[in-house]
Amino acid sequence: MTDDRFDSPYPRYDVLEKWDTPSYNDQTREALAKRMDEVPPRRFFTAAEFTTLQAVCARVVPQPGRAAPVPIAPFIDSDLHAGRGTGTRYAAMPDDRTAWRQGMAAIDAEAKARHGSTFAELADAQQDSILSAINQGECAASGAWRDLPAQDFFRKLLLKWIVSVYYVHPAAMSEIGYGGPASPRGYVRLGPNEADPWEAPLSEKGARQ
Amino acid sequence: MSGRVSVLDDAAELRPRAVSGRAPDVFSREDCVPMAQFRDEEEVDFAIVGTGCGGGVLAAKLAEAGGSVVAFDAGPFFRPLADFASDEREQEKLYWLEERISDGENPIELGSNNSGRCVGGSTVHFQMVALRFRPEWFQARTKLGYGADWPVDWREMWRYYEEVEKACSISGPIRYPWGPKRGRYPYRAHEVNAAGLVLARGAEALGIDWAPTPLCTLSAPHGKSPPCVYRGMCKIGCSTNAKQSVLVTYIPRALAAGAEIRDLATVGRIETDRWGRATGVAYFREGRWRFQKARHVIVAGYSIETPRLLLNSHSARHPDGLANSSGLVGRHLMVHSNHAVWAEFDEEIRWYKGPPSMACCEHWNYADDDPTKDFDGGYAFMSQGPLPSDFATSIVTNSGEFGMDLRARMAKYNRMAGLKMVGETMPQADNRVTLSEGKDDLGLPRPRVTFGYCDNDKRLYAHALDFMGRMIEAAEGKNRFETEGTAHLMGGCRMGEDPKTSVVNADGRSWDVPNLWVCDGSLMPTGGGVNPSMTILANAARIADRMIAAGRRGEV
Amino acid sequence: MSARQAAHRERGSRSIGLDAVAAGGVIALVAAFAIGSALRPERKSDPVHRRATRKARDGAAILGASVLMDSAMEHFRGGFHNRAMVLAPATAAASIAASLAEPRPDRTGRLPRLGHALSFAVGAAGLGFHFYNVTKRPGGLSWNNLFYAAPLGAPGALAISGLLGLTSEALSIAPVDGNRTGNEALAWSLPEAGRGLALATGGSLLVTAAEAGLLHFRGAFHNPAMWLPVTVPPATGLFLIGEAANPTDSGREVTRWAARGVAVLGVVGTAFHVWGVHRNMGGWHNWRQTSLAGPPTPAPISFTGLAMAGLAALDALGSEERSS
Ligand SMILES: Cc1cc2nc3c(=O)[nH]c(=O)nc-3n(C[C@H](O)[C@H](O)[C@H](O)COP(=O)(O)OP(=O)(O)OC[C@H]3O[C@@H](n4cnc5c(N)ncnc54)[C@H](O)[C@@H]3O)c2cc1C
Ligand code: SF4
Repeated sequence: MTDDRFDSPYPRYDVLEKWDTPSYNDQTREALAKRMDEVPPRRFFTAAEFTTLQAVCARVVPQPGRAAPVPIAPFIDSDLHAGRGTGTRYAAMPDDRTAWRQGMAAIDAEAKARHGSTFAELADAQQDSILSAINQGECAASGAWRDLPAQDFFRKLLLKWIVSVYYVHPAAMSEIGYGGPASPRGYVRLGPNEADPWEAPLSEKGARQ
Repeated sequence: MSGRVSVLDDAAELRPRAVSGRAPDVFSREDCVPMAQFRDEEEVDFAIVGTGCGGGVLAAKLAEAGGSVVAFDAGPFFRPLADFASDEREQEKLYWLEERISDGENPIELGSNNSGRCVGGSTVHFQMVALRFRPEWFQARTKLGYGADWPVDWREMWRYYEEVEKACSISGPIRYPWGPKRGRYPYRAHEVNAAGLVLARGAEALGIDWAPTPLCTLSAPHGKSPPCVYRGMCKIGCSTNAKQSVLVTYIPRALAAGAEIRDLATVGRIETDRWGRATGVAYFREGRWRFQKARHVIVAGYSIETPRLLLNSHSARHPDGLANSSGLVGRHLMVHSNHAVWAEFDEEIRWYKGPPSMACCEHWNYADDDPTKDFDGGYAFMSQGPLPSDFATSIVTNSGEFGMDLRARMAKYNRMAGLKMVGETMPQADNRVTLSEGKDDLGLPRPRVTFGYCDNDKRLYAHALDFMGRMIEAAEGKNRFETEGTAHLMGGCRMGEDPKTSVVNADGRSWDVPNLWVCDGSLMPTGGGVNPSMTILANAARIADRMIAAGRRGEV
Repeated sequence: MSARQAAHRERGSRSIGLDAVAAGGVIALVAAFAIGSALRPERKSDPVHRRATRKARDGAAILGASVLMDSAMEHFRGGFHNRAMVLAPATAAASIAASLAEPRPDRTGRLPRLGHALSFAVGAAGLGFHFYNVTKRPGGLSWNNLFYAAPLGAPGALAISGLLGLTSEALSIAPVDGNRTGNEALAWSLPEAGRGLALATGGSLLVTAAEAGLLHFRGAFHNPAMWLPVTVPPATGLFLIGEAANPTDSGREVTRWAARGVAVLGVVGTAFHVWGVHRNMGGWHNWRQTSLAGPPTPAPISFTGLAMAGLAALDALGSEERSS
């Protein structure tokens, strides 16, 4: 992994500044307010599983320098609790809930097999190397994975779920300069290096063009 | 947020809205329009399962011809203006997210990737690319030597393309570079956004044609719909009502003509009598199973749910499922290979503005004589504009990238552009839908979808990746990378001329059960190299006219 | 100055809101009208002449106002990324002032003509610029670029407004008694000036209707009323040209009615466009997007301006009938 620093190309942009403008409609305000104000309690995972999940989330989407990191694990927990699925269960994989439990246990087993402690207790670099190995399908504790294909679980379930929670958060929208909510307003300027006044201002590189 | 009535509390997902003789007015935030209502015991002319491209068109046209129609949809009845948020997660409510098993050599992603679940079907969240089949594809076997022939003449289909393009006010270019001359699109093409101009630049650098994509969203007002505001969230539902989905076109027509729509009503079985004729449908609504009597049953649940329902409606007379004497129900399922190339650009593209695919290229659908073409079938490709979560998930599932690398890549979001293919796959009998052992919450067997690419499919997408890669490079894209995937579903109940090699005839009428019909994407014998919905709509409009004509002859 | 500061400044200039531009446009408009009217002392002359002159110059001023607002909004949409983009609204404002000012026989009388000539020149240059802009985009001279790239009609309208201003100048300085003084470059007799003005307005109506046609075609003529501006004005334009070529009493009467119709159409068209903006998503509440994305509200009134100039031309032509 690269060093743990992140520079947004749009440091002064915040999609939430448009909250009271026609870029937001009521239903969007309500959905986002709920996401930001009501972080769901843990109901599905065990405390141990949840600790592992939180540690994994912190490496998949590291958020150093953010006073209040975007919560991810609680939303995965609440999805699984509610039985909210993706619509796809790969035949080679157990159902979502079983896969997640098994996966958390297996990640912990990997940590123990390699370093003798739980995943959450490891240093960042150790955690990263374990996740990288799983991503390559290289397992040290193959017994713990049982019938769960490690790489598929990692990419198609774990990573996918984590980023789909992170990149719907206003903080994530802002850091990449995405326009964010846009109804009823929409956009007028569609060409290259063009921005409406209610978008992220063109980044330095763009402005120089 | 206190003090204000929550907009999301009155969720369409929780309680049916089309009840008590009223259905939601999709052009309002909370109003209703009057709706006919039929009793379960009343034998209606047509019970239609599904209200997407196939079911929506039939409901409108059959009701307008005077038939009594009840159309069922498992999903909710939305009012886009009030129900659709600018939020990818919230809008997952549009998709079919019930567990389905994906199996085979190349298991496909289901859910948001290809299945809608609401009144209006998948068109509520489709990306509005509105292309026509190439004429020769309707005789792929005879003329091009692969796949199967359609039991339909291309000229007839082209007339129906015109009909449905008018009904959906397609905004398209004045001159379309490929295929036989077509009439003018009802609305003018939209302004091509920066992402589309990348495709254009690449095409011009390589010396091939490109076009502003014909799109199913308005470039000028129509009826109660305002024109597109280029908010770019078409895939998660258009809260502008500019998108001319079935929900805002055919469904209001159906209601006005006296059809009844039943939302949150899942059909679990088609019942048959001693003689093997369909008598109606068993459906689950408001917490209980009910039975609607009908003279004709039309299945329009799309390529997975249609075979699933037919297979599950087995009886003593139809032990292998309804309409399945050929053994072909569920077989010849097709997808489009949906691989893509992505690159970074010096300029800010900001592909989130405008419909996702504003420029397209059909060159390889028409380039039979090109010596580098080493595959049967064809492919089109389009410019792209995925929303953040959508883009991030496609990166991680393809490459496994995570950590700061991922965040850094996502930070280039505004400088990315991509080209994504819609590649034809061959109809293969073993790519299919079957019933699994597992049951869903209603006790219905879950479907199992088995899919694998054949060699021709692989040559086709390899060719496309190579070509799109050259093109994006010619457009000055840097740090290129590729993703793979599939889109769309086609086939599963193919129509044909012969009861032994098809499930239904050219009218969509099943060979085995004379009052059972199929009308949706599952009819398609081949998939073509273009997005399917215009073809499904046109075919449905044609089938509706055939049914009406048969009715006049006393055969219905 | 660091790159970041530079970018920040860029951002600052980019964040001029549409409200600021609209307000600026209105102020410029009012100022132009005020300056013009202040420079307009009453002058004793033949009533026909006076009426015609007044009408022609008011027409030119209205046209100028339409161009000013339209170009200000469109160039705002383009972020004034090229400094030359401020020229269009600026010269349009100059043209308005010039149209309202009364010409003087002395040297200062040349100023308004200079203003109009400037508008004409800037319009013509802008036309070239927009044309170049269209051709360099992917697709070149394609329908999509004609619809959405830099509009050819807009600088054309500025040129027309200059041309019309110049011709109405010619009308206003035409000697009433029919005698040429000879010391003016544009020394036409009143009927000659009327003929020139009729030709200029007739041609301008055709060109302006062509632009409306292009844009209404882009809008798929979704409302049948959209056919009006592409039929009535060009017909009137042809009548005017016919009158210039071969003036007749009856023809003039028909043309006069047609021109009145066009004048009304301009007003009605504006109302339609205002309503059209409201029909876009979010309506006027969302005006920062809809007033740019919806039908251009300042555009239709240009027909009223042209029609008034046409009526002036008819008056002047009529004086010929009487005097001969
Ligand atoms: C993300 C996405 C983007 C797309 N983009 C494009 C595009 O750009 N261009 C294009 O041409 N096509 C596109 N498509 C494909 C297109 O939307 C579909 O091909 C088309 O809608 C299929 O029509 P259909 O009538 O067969 O099924 P659908 O439109 O899916 O309708 C089926 C309906 O039946 C209902 N149903 C199913 N089973 C039952 C049951 N048992 N009881 C009651 N109701 C039931 C479902 O709820 C659903 O509403 C896209 C699809 C997706 C998912
Ligand atoms: S871009 Fe147009 S069609 Fe898509 S969601 Fe926005 S308004 Fe609707």
